[in-house]
Amino acid sequence: MPNPFDILLHHSEPIDPTLWEWIEDKIHDVLGIDSAVAILILGLLMIVFPLVVLVLAVRKQRRPE
Amino acid sequence: MSESKRGGIFYGWYIVAALFFASFLAIGSRQGFGVFVKTWEEEWGVTTAAISVAAAIGWLANGFSQPLVGYLTDKYGGRPVLVISLAVMAVATIAVATVSNVFGLIILYGFVISFASGGISPATSGVVIARWFDRKRGTAMSVLIAGGSVGGLVVVPFLSFVLVEFSWQTAWIIVGVLALGLGIPLLLLVVRSRPQDLGLNIDGDASPVEGSDDQQITVQPVGQKFVERWQEALESKPIWQLSFAYFVCGITTASISVHYVRWAVSEDISTGTAALAFGVLSGINAGGVLVVGWLSDKFQRKKLLGAVYLVRGVAFLSLIFLPGASALWAFAVIGGMSWLATVPLTASLTADVYGVRNLGTLFGLANMSHQIGGATAVMLFGWAFTQLGSYDLAFGVGAATLLAAGLVSLSIREKQLSVRYAPVVPEGASTDTEG
Repeated sequence: MPNPFDILLHHSEPIDPTLWEWIEDKIHDVLGIDSAVAILILGLLMIVFPLVVLVLAVRKQRRPE
Repeated sequence: MSESKRGGIFYGWYIVAALFFASFLAIGSRQGFGVFVKTWEEEWGVTTAAISVAAAIGWLANGFSQPLVGYLTDKYGGRPVLVISLAVMAVATIAVATVSNVFGLIILYGFVISFASGGISPATSGVVIARWFDRKRGTAMSVLIAGGSVGGLVVVPFLSFVLVEFSWQTAWIIVGVLALGLGIPLLLLVVRSRPQDLGLNIDGDASPVEGSDDQQITVQPVGQKFVERWQEALESKPIWQLSFAYFVCGITTASISVHYVRWAVSEDISTGTAALAFGVLSGINAGGVLVVGWLSDKFQRKKLLGAVYLVRGVAFLSLIFLPGASALWAFAVIGGMSWLATVPLTASLTADVYGVRNLGTLFGLANMSHQIGGATAVMLFGWAFTQLGSYDLAFGVGAATLLAAGLVSLSIREKQLSVRYAPVVPEGASTDTEG
């Protein structure tokens, strides 16, 4: 019976752990960055994007064109 | 005059951006589940199969939640459903950090998180988009759907790096805190269920109107099949045509997701090469969904939907008739173009034919059929391979169902039934029809 974990990348199903392990190795090989740096970059991306949207949208609400 | 024509960005695009982030978090964190499997196996001393139960339950819970959250969205508006769903998901995500066995994982992930994440699916966010956009509905929907893909590309690596650097508990807590600290404020402060809530009109076409929502007078054309109650839609053909095609979408995407790498290995292709091809497919799908969404605002959506299914059918045939490596890459490229493109097309066409009043429930039902089709196909494809030692029959069935889905989609009478082509001005000139 197929493993439900293998269902991935369409809508919201979990990623295949074996596939992810391979992709993870490739990311390390290609980018060669430390985990802590990767956390910082991706974390900043995830924090900055919603903050920018929030600020712009609230400004828009207060000052409609 | 259109707001955008006066120099500003239509507020609906901020809503798209906020929903993009909610979708990004919800789908990214659900996909991230797989990152922790090996850690849990070692820490809890359980098998992959035991943890799989949580994932399998989660898959079904997510599918069955969609008509319900869609109905709630139709009744109470998208904003409260989105906020509550994300809040429940966030708290449960943090709570996962306290789990120490599979049973807790089944309860929190399998039931609570998966069910709540249904409330951040196109059945809810798509309804909000449909109420804000008419002429650019397909484009806006496709940006929203792309948010889920980007979420997978960003959140999954992030969780993995946190796991390496800290612990799996920290990873879950961070995602939950991001959802609570950024996702909820974003939804609360930015998202409005309808443009009228900010004194705007759909597409930003009209100047803001003073006064309460109820006093606002707009003449919105309706379609022949616009329904007051969702049950009425079930008596007409398009919802069945769209749901059948979406059922096939579930069959052909879930089965490939599961069996693509296994098929490649059976063709003497390495797991790494197959994984790379699947990665290419995933990358192409993000671009494909944006292009198809944009095109769908310019051409008949049914033609694009039919073409997407037929193109995917060609990709399935390539798996049967081309030699191993050629088939692998042909499928990655051809299949990738069609992978997620069905979602904005199906949601937009449903809205065009039936209106947005019951869109949540109707698209939720279509989503449920998608999940049921996927679950069934995953098992049947596996059974066929075990019995026959080859995927050819399964892929042949997949191609045949895609041909049927393509033809059924093309047979939808869009020019007669869609409000885009056959608008009817409601009698009495009317108030807002957006419900």
